[in-house]
Amino acid sequence: MNQKNFTYVGKDIQRVDIEDKAYGRVKYTDDVMEPGVLIAALHTSTHAHAKIKNINLEKAAQVSGVHAIITGEDFPYPVGPMLADRPPIAYEKVRYFGEPIAVVVADKEHLAKYAASLIEVQYEPLPILQSPREAAKKDASLIHEHLGKYTTMVEGVHAIPKTNIANLTKIRKGNMEKGWEESDITIEANFSFGPADHVALETRVVRAEILHDGRVMIYSSTQGPFYVQKMLSEFFNIDAGKISVQTPLVGGAFGGKGCVQLEFTAFLASRAVGGRMVRLVNTREEDLVTSPVHLGLEATVKLGATRAGKLTAAQYEYYFNTGAYSDMGAGMSKAGAVDCTGPFKIENVHTDSHCVYTNQPYATSFRGFGHPELTFVMERAMDQLAKKLKIDPLELRLMNAIKPGDTTPTQVHLNASNLGDVSACLRKLKQLINWTGEERTITRDGKIKTKGISSFWKTSSTPPNATAGTILTFNTDGSVNLNCAAVEIGQGTKTVLTQILAEKLQLDMKKIHITVEVNTQYDPHQWKTVASSTTYLAGRAVMAAAEDAIFQLKQVGAVALKCLPADLEVGNGLVYMKDSPEFYVKIKDLATAYKYPNGNSVGGLILGAGSHVVRHLTPLDPETGFGKPGPQWTVGAQAVEIEYDPKDYTYKLLKAATVLDAGQVINPKAAIGQMRSGMYLGLSWASREQFMFDQDGVVLNPQLRSYDTIRASEAPDYLVDFVETPLVDGPYGARGIGEYGVIGMAGALSNSLSIASQVSLHELPLTPEYIWQTVNGGGK
Amino acid sequence: MIHFDFEYVKPSSAEEALQLFEQFTANGKKVMYYGGGTEFISRARMNEIMTDVVIDLKAIPACNVLEENTEELVIGATKTLTDLVETNFFPLLSSVIRLIATRTERNKITIGGNLMSNLPYKEGILPFLLADSKLAIATKKGIKKEKITTVFEEDKIRLKEEEFIVQILTDKKVVNQAFFNEKKTKQSKVNYPILTLAALQMEENIKVAFSGLYEFPFHSKEIDKQVNDHKTSFDKRVEKVIKLLPASIIDDMHASSKYRQFVLKSSLVKMLENMEAVSS
Repeated sequence: MNQKNFTYVGKDIQRVDIEDKAYGRVKYTDDVMEPGVLIAALHTSTHAHAKIKNINLEKAAQVSGVHAIITGEDFPYPVGPMLADRPPIAYEKVRYFGEPIAVVVADKEHLAKYAASLIEVQYEPLPILQSPREAAKKDASLIHEHLGKYTTMVEGVHAIPKTNIANLTKIRKGNMEKGWEESDITIEANFSFGPADHVALETRVVRAEILHDGRVMIYSSTQGPFYVQKMLSEFFNIDAGKISVQTPLVGGAFGGKGCVQLEFTAFLASRAVGGRMVRLVNTREEDLVTSPVHLGLEATVKLGATRAGKLTAAQYEYYFNTGAYSDMGAGMSKAGAVDCTGPFKIENVHTDSHCVYTNQPYATSFRGFGHPELTFVMERAMDQLAKKLKIDPLELRLMNAIKPGDTTPTQVHLNASNLGDVSACLRKLKQLINWTGEERTITRDGKIKTKGISSFWKTSSTPPNATAGTILTFNTDGSVNLNCAAVEIGQGTKTVLTQILAEKLQLDMKKIHITVEVNTQYDPHQWKTVASSTTYLAGRAVMAAAEDAIFQLKQVGAVALKCLPADLEVGNGLVYMKDSPEFYVKIKDLATAYKYPNGNSVGGLILGAGSHVVRHLTPLDPETGFGKPGPQWTVGAQAVEIEYDPKDYTYKLLKAATVLDAGQVINPKAAIGQMRSGMYLGLSWASREQFMFDQDGVVLNPQLRSYDTIRASEAPDYLVDFVETPLVDGPYGARGIGEYGVIGMAGALSNSLSIASQVSLHELPLTPEYIWQTVNGGGK
Repeated sequence: MIHFDFEYVKPSSAEEALQLFEQFTANGKKVMYYGGGTEFISRARMNEIMTDVVIDLKAIPACNVLEENTEELVIGATKTLTDLVETNFFPLLSSVIRLIATRTERNKITIGGNLMSNLPYKEGILPFLLADSKLAIATKKGIKKEKITTVFEEDKIRLKEEEFIVQILTDKKVVNQAFFNEKKTKQSKVNYPILTLAALQMEENIKVAFSGLYEFPFHSKEIDKQVNDHKTSFDKRVEKVIKLLPASIIDDMHASSKYRQFVLKSSLVKMLENMEAVSS
């Protein structure tokens, strides 16, 4: 790590939330018991695509204790964050297995569920599409007949009416003809995987009530309290200032709680019962299937390179499976195009990235936002290229690593600040995992040990006006209250932001009280806590607020110490003279006005306020993709070591490694934890997580008994290290790091297994049966 | 949450349990016997089953017995899988059932519940099928003892509505014989089996039984015969076993039929390699 003289930044400070979490003292959204709250339960679709002929509510309505039952008829208007294409409750037809058809509101949970089970629906089945490539064809049956009439909520969504394509992002960079001419070798490959899920420990939950003056009170386990406010305001035509959203600590999210779904439903339910508070909580099955999922992909990639190993051309065709509704799928297909090449210099790039509807559960953001998906494709392709060129895979990546001075697929100019150091990460990874070039060894009992690598990069797809704000107030003991709307989802943001403030004020962490809950009525406006952007946005806001407070402290301090503000410094709870620190006044004596010895007061309250907004982002040109989609690119390199049994095609995960350019690591232990958890998630996804569907689009494994995740005893040993190339406008040089641990795992694992099994593996999940199938020449 | 109301009773004898069953049934109620509850609770919560009455068998002393007498190992039907693994009276049994679910579930799952499970696996049955165990069954006419192979017809243990297993009795001479077992899953070791294979050395020969190939656990004398054909190579024996399989192996979301067949072959070979070394 960099040898800088920081007091708090870069130090292993215990997380502010860790004790309460370890001792089970935390009150999450659903840990609140309130009398008089009504319970909502869903009746969901058993069909993947069908017209709703009739909904019979008779029996359900007769259950005593039922206050209301609502259906799509009660709000037949589509909502959505990018394309408003989804009715909150199915209207006229259902498009995925598990889609909500009716909502029962009753006195007690068992009554609501009982009544919901008595609802009878008559369906008229429609043709089912489960492959995005198939669904994207010109003559495919339509899942959204009204595509083209949907409101576009943000710029940059290019839907193609009369098709199942919700968004098409094009990249046209350089000259493809020239690029192919210059290549001595090409490789071409297809990839595919179906949807999977976030599986956060805390299922989604919302409470909603509408007060008599029309104010809407929402309590939600969400990554975006202000985002919920915005969506409810836009779609229900309510002034934003009349919508209050409150969010305590969140028990895991991984992108799945960055969308708005239950909040719409709970609001409608509350409205149906005269504004009484209604609680809607997902069962695990609903959380997996009814609420949005992790998108799938079918892709084709073609790469060209010179014999020496220099990449000359790249062509990508992506068909992202966004399921029944586009939600954030339209953003991920765009993100996949924006960074399609991976962290490599390629001058000629041609990409068509489609966001395609299918009759599978609909997708929202998933940690990595399109990047674990594109990285699996690109990094596996790089290893194939390395093999064909007979060049060491790590050397091939070093040879082509993108550098300051190069441009991204959307032609952003990269410099030493907005791009991390890819080569440094690869070189450090080489040491960390002992990469010798001979990465396939046979053990004494006939097993095969291999290492596979992957590089990665990602920029955040923040909207061009993403903001964060911070308010600082002081207490009479000189301690500070830090108020910021970053949501603590387990990533440690509250600790990191406290450290940044502690560093700026040179004040002990114990003297900083950060509000853990977010309340849109009291907190400054902030974009949702997603996209590895919170340390950057909120961190800069914290520093701005601290500078504001310091300015005010110096102003009043100058009066107290009879000098100029410029003579003063702030630190350790004091405002003191730079040249003679023995002349000081305590912050606690300035914070709520300074009192002269004779009793006169001057100065008022010290109130620090600051904010930050992203700069210079632009939408992409619809024909070429030219534009600036994000503020900076965090980069890294990863590896996975496995032990493979060639007899039965099973394997053990031995080691997983990440080297990330963090700019400036704020909290090493927390950052290492972030990398480990990302690697765990990436490996679990790559090796076993996926929904299984029958031919009718019914989800066969909507529960944790049959939706497989890595168990504790199956996790690998983790190796983590960092490179620090500062982001000039990041807080103390810090880059966003939250998502990255996930991104390269599928690529590294598929590379490792391909070396072991000596066949090229292109599908997820990488199960023994899939490997057996590929080795024995059986296709699907 | 289970959304329907039901009655819960916990009799303290087999006779009382049968009486309660009769009484409730006579009043037109649907009655279920209850062991660990892991299946009942999950399925009821997901609206897959319903009942008016639950009769918890765990307070019946005879169902809680776990002891060896001069002839037999006696296992009470409501002993949990964890109990059986920890006491380890029957090593093949312990080895098979310790791979079911996770410890949290095994602390609750009763051996009787596993034998009467609605899921196709019932892995706990395999060691008893191989050991030719007897079941002590509570019936209207008192406790009846039957060979497990007699009551296990086609695909499951068939009892009359009101009957329930009180104990499983296994010949002491058999429980410490050489054995082999393997559970293969789709990926994580905590999952339903694609194949669970259990084998037990019975005198001169190996007996082998399987879960996961079909919708029911499976043992066949013809397959045992092929497995013990010392004159042919392991691979040839396994090929013959495949030909003897009665129906086509299932194809489901956990594995395709062809892959299951491959897994069966490699597990059989592994079993032979392990056990022939011991017996010869």
